[in-house]
Amino acid sequence: MNIYVYIFRRILYVIPVLLGVCLIIFVLFNLVSPDPTLMMLGRHATLKQMLELRHELGLDRSLPLQYLDIVKSAFTFDFGRSWSTKQEIVEMIRNGAIPSLTVTVPSFIIALAISLVIALFVAFYRGAWYDRFSVLICVGMMSLPSLAYILFGQKILAYDLGLFEISGYEHGFPAFIPYVILPCVIWIMLSIGPDVRFYRTVILDEVYMDYVRTARAKGLSETVILFKHVLKNAMIPIITWVVIQIPFLILGALLLESFFGIPGLGGITLNAINSADFPVVRAMTILSAVAYIIFSVITDVLYTLVDPRVRLK
Amino acid sequence: MNEKLLEVKDLVVQFRTDRGKVTAVNGVDFELYKGQTLGIVGESGSGKSVTALSIMRLIPNPPGEIARGKIFFKGQNLLDIPLDEMRKIRGNKIAMIFQEPMTSLNPVFTVGNQIEEVFALHQQEISKSERRDKGIELLKMVGIPSPERRYLDYPHQMSGGMRQRVMIAMSLACRPDILIADEPSTALDVTIQAQILELMKKLQSDLGMAIIMITHDLGVVAETCDHVAVMYCGQIVEKSDIKTVFSRPRHPYTKGLLESIPSYDSTQNRAKGRLPTIEGMVPSLFDLPAGCSFQDRCKFVTQDCRGGKGIPQLENLAPDHAVSCFNPIVV
Repeated sequence: MNIYVYIFRRILYVIPVLLGVCLIIFVLFNLVSPDPTLMMLGRHATLKQMLELRHELGLDRSLPLQYLDIVKSAFTFDFGRSWSTKQEIVEMIRNGAIPSLTVTVPSFIIALAISLVIALFVAFYRGAWYDRFSVLICVGMMSLPSLAYILFGQKILAYDLGLFEISGYEHGFPAFIPYVILPCVIWIMLSIGPDVRFYRTVILDEVYMDYVRTARAKGLSETVILFKHVLKNAMIPIITWVVIQIPFLILGALLLESFFGIPGLGGITLNAINSADFPVVRAMTILSAVAYIIFSVITDVLYTLVDPRVRLK
Repeated sequence: MNEKLLEVKDLVVQFRTDRGKVTAVNGVDFELYKGQTLGIVGESGSGKSVTALSIMRLIPNPPGEIARGKIFFKGQNLLDIPLDEMRKIRGNKIAMIFQEPMTSLNPVFTVGNQIEEVFALHQQEISKSERRDKGIELLKMVGIPSPERRYLDYPHQMSGGMRQRVMIAMSLACRPDILIADEPSTALDVTIQAQILELMKKLQSDLGMAIIMITHDLGVVAETCDHVAVMYCGQIVEKSDIKTVFSRPRHPYTKGLLESIPSYDSTQNRAKGRLPTIEGMVPSLFDLPAGCSFQDRCKFVTQDCRGGKGIPQLENLAPDHAVSCFNPIVV
């Protein structure tokens, strides 16, 4: 079977998964959660008002029809309008995605590059003092809560030293850059600890394999062994780890966005939850599910490129 | 037996462990001549693999360390040369194959790629297109059917026997002077085992290399070797040509090993009585007894063996027959 047929079939598998996800979302929002009209109208609402609002929102239609609406929105990305702002949700997502991505994408790429380089370096000199020192630093960095980084950054670096903007955002390139530097730095600091530890472990798992001994017996240098033989084997778990993080980049950094006043998707989601804006929350849930499914397909396809043992059948 | 290729002198290899330093190889001496097959036999933990890895300087350090000794290859002490020089010898002049054919090849590269790597490293004068032809030729030489197609296979597409053939092909790419085979047939089933040993014998007579055959199987030794060194607890206890060792062993351990090979009585169509064993256990390397390390299992033990005269050393009892025993068996 060739790779295109494999990809096509893998994409076909997405359909039942997505239908299942829609069903879960439907059950959670329509059957389990309390009546949204009650929350919207307050406790002095009359039954007539509630019924009118239910009709207006389409909540009085039959359940299968409401389920179909969710399915339709998952495939067309037409999520309707927000209950509270009456805005097109697609428009809201489009506006929020860019500020989110301006923070998450650069942070993610820089953190990935830095962590991989550090991990390869310490794996190469495994057992030496800087290897053990790096583990110590990583654990230390992971032990500090993210709030500590945020408060330190905003108080010391931004307020006292005036190195960065404390919070806020401006749309358009390059106006946004000063506002995203500090959140990016904090994101990178938060990622490096777990990332380095993970990459280092993965690489060290490979270093003691028999094929590495064979490579040495052939006369290969340690550099070639690490960068050719070991790294290609280590790529398999690394790809999973990296690609599965990408959907979360789209959703934005919830905590960072709210602390730094960045009008991204994380903030939109948070507001929608607080105001019981069901269509927006639902749209964000569907969006993240779709992103997650798409990137797991991409992971599977990448496997077949890296690992010949993954056969397409 | 003309040119002396390898001479190992007083080799001592130690490992640092949580329970202290342990001496895995303790004063091993042997020589290897051109075209010779030397068998190194012993139980697990006797130091035979460590001896082999030391010749390649592949002892993982830490925790291992070659504490003492000299390994002369064509007159040059391999333990003195820089690692860069050693890498030019590995896989080129001295090659090695391992016990684990299933895991010794890199799973994510084709066997062809892994063979070509050796050419790219040691024989840079060979052009890229020639490398491929030579690689396929090697696969043909080790008896892999339809080598052109198999050349593009990944290791997981091959059986254990086939993978060991690939390992052999790879090790012979540069026509080494010495091939070290660390239990090359142990992980394979019996018919494949015989094929691999047969192949190695044939290739040796074709290419004229010397082989160090590490094994725990005296049957393998009998079939392939012309000299043999028996190891016990990090020391060579008996060393001679194959005929002498099998017909007139002088060390009680060697004799015990030979007696514990199952034999079959063809006239009565059944095994000959109860299989003799060597009583007792190999002592822990952490607390070897004073004197001879075989004393507790030996039927001929004397007061001398208990430490009165120190550790027995290899002594020539006849030309080309050395035994380290205070009370050798009289034949």
